[in-house]
Amino acid sequence: MTDHVLQLKEVTKTFGSGRTEVQALKETTLEVARGEVIAIIGPSGSGKSTLLTIAGGLQTPSGGEVHIAGERITDLNEKRRSRVRLDHVGFILQASNLVPFLTVSEQLRLLDKVKKGNMSAAERDGLFEELGIEELTGKYPGDLSGGERQRVAIAKALYSNPSLLLADEPTASLDSDRAFEVMGLLKSAAVKKDAATIVVTHDTRLTDYVDKVYKMVDGTLRLEEEKEAERLPDERTEFLEPEEERDGV
Amino acid sequence: MFLAWREIKQNKLRFALITAVLLLVSFLVFFLSGLASGLAGLNREAVDKWQSDTIYLTEESDKSLNQSMMTAEKADEVEGGETAVLAEMNLIADNGEAKNGVALFGIRPDEFIMPKVTEGKPFKDENEVIASDYLRDEGFSVGDELSLSSTDEKLTITGFTDKSRFNAAPVLFMDLPDFQKIKFGQAAEQMEEGEETVNAVVVKGGSGEQVPDELEKIETETFIKNLPGYTEQNLTLTLMIYFLFAISAAVVAIFLYVLTVQKIGMFGVMKAQGISSGYLAWSVIAQTFILALIGVLIGFGLTIGVGQFLPNAVPVTFDYGLMAVYGAVLVAVAVLGALVSVWTIVKIDPLEAISG
Ligand SMILES: Nc1ncnc2c1ncn2[C@@H]1O[C@H](COP(=O)(O)OP(=O)(O)O)[C@@H](O)[C@H]1O
Ligand SMILES: [Mg+2]
Repeated sequence: MTDHVLQLKEVTKTFGSGRTEVQALKETTLEVARGEVIAIIGPSGSGKSTLLTIAGGLQTPSGGEVHIAGERITDLNEKRRSRVRLDHVGFILQASNLVPFLTVSEQLRLLDKVKKGNMSAAERDGLFEELGIEELTGKYPGDLSGGERQRVAIAKALYSNPSLLLADEPTASLDSDRAFEVMGLLKSAAVKKDAATIVVTHDTRLTDYVDKVYKMVDGTLRLEEEKEAERLPDERTEFLEPEEERDGV
Repeated sequence: MFLAWREIKQNKLRFALITAVLLLVSFLVFFLSGLASGLAGLNREAVDKWQSDTIYLTEESDKSLNQSMMTAEKADEVEGGETAVLAEMNLIADNGEAKNGVALFGIRPDEFIMPKVTEGKPFKDENEVIASDYLRDEGFSVGDELSLSSTDEKLTITGFTDKSRFNAAPVLFMDLPDFQKIKFGQAAEQMEEGEETVNAVVVKGGSGEQVPDELEKIETETFIKNLPGYTEQNLTLTLMIYFLFAISAAVVAIFLYVLTVQKIGMFGVMKAQGISSGYLAWSVIAQTFILALIGVLIGFGLTIGVGQFLPNAVPVTFDYGLMAVYGAVLVAVAVLGALVSVWTIVKIDPLEAISG
């Protein structure tokens, strides 16, 4: 077994056939290690979401292999893949990540109900504090601002101690201040939980927070930038402090 | 249960509506079942009061009381734990102010189908009768002299008894020899002991006795089912109840399906997170169960409540055992309706929720 939580080997994805054939993903190989945070940027329709959903076991590739936490998931049926997602993968989406009729703490209790081996109460409180949402536990998603909702979504995704954290445009519905803040929190929380993290974003400024930046163009993934620093740029640390204002919707 | 209950609490109006529908349907079901047993009672009450096991009719009568005619002598050949002869005819009784259709029973006062009087005294002298107390509600009272539709003989009410209706008519009980006079007029005068005509022998207890020639032994329940109109009426009401079951299944199915379709995105996200279809499906089933149970319980209470205020003329009798069965069926049928949504949930592709 390697220390890579996620391994994509020569993965391809083709939709349709004949004249309507779309090669959404050309042969792609990618490895992400524990505690590593990578960003994938690229224009709309270039295949970013396709890559992310294949990486998370939500769809099967047309060719190649996917390994999550050492397990080859390419040939598993939906039921078994669902189990892998439950045990190993945390998803953060653009919006509507949360169940509207559950309070913040109930969102996590739902996860308690469906799986074992989640966080202790102390760990959870630590996570809440880290994300600055310890005051929001009794609120419903409808009463939260966009930034708060995404912070709760991060808590929810990390609550199961996933080895793989996948975020598809997690800041798309936020203004840029809030986007920096959420991105910073996402990065630090993911690193603290030692999760391999992929963030898909179209905002190139957010890539300051990540270890590697990949660019997707027409289904081809290319390494754009690799950084030494695993620490956050200094001028951004202020955003890690949760702010009081609630101007987002 | 966790998801199911939280959602109900957060969307009270939505779920109140579906509960209200179930409440109304269950009210209708309970009421119809009350009506069915009430109407059934109208027909069989007097027979139920005997608590008999079997009834003997003539073979050629085809299980119809009116068509069955035997001599008292023949009737006395019937053996059993306890036996009682029964002669019956339908008449119109008139006390000068009120007129009512009645079933006249000719019986022997020393046999077990002799009713206990709840008001007044039993019959003793010629042409005296004990009347069903439903006649009291119709304006008849102890001491009334009744003229009859088919004879010049007059009857006198000496007392009332409860729970005595037969084939939708209140019963008048009288001594068998007097009954012969009413039914056969002059001819009855020449009758010897044992020559009286009766229609049936009612038997309680005993078993396996010889059935006399020309007679047929039937279960009391079979006898009741063969009362004119009884089975047809029961079937009609029962059919209506069954239709209501189908309707409530359909209504619940549609309602839940609409709610589920609205939540496809949410379910998809949950499935992407690895929450199994089974868990989500159970949640919908649990939700339906909770709502149906609440609806049916309130419907039950409402039925009982409304039943208290109904005029006596409405023949509603609540059979709680039967209502419990119908209530359980309604809940089961609602859960069945939820299966459409379960299917929808199972089919949701989490990928679609993710790629929004
Ligand atoms: N389920 C699908 N069926 C057919 N074509 C698809 C499907 N999903 C994605 N595509 C196509 O694949 C390409 C990549 O899409 P996507 O991965 O969603 O891009 P991105 O997330 O970078 O905007 C697009 O051309 C899109 O139309
Ligand atoms: Mg996308």
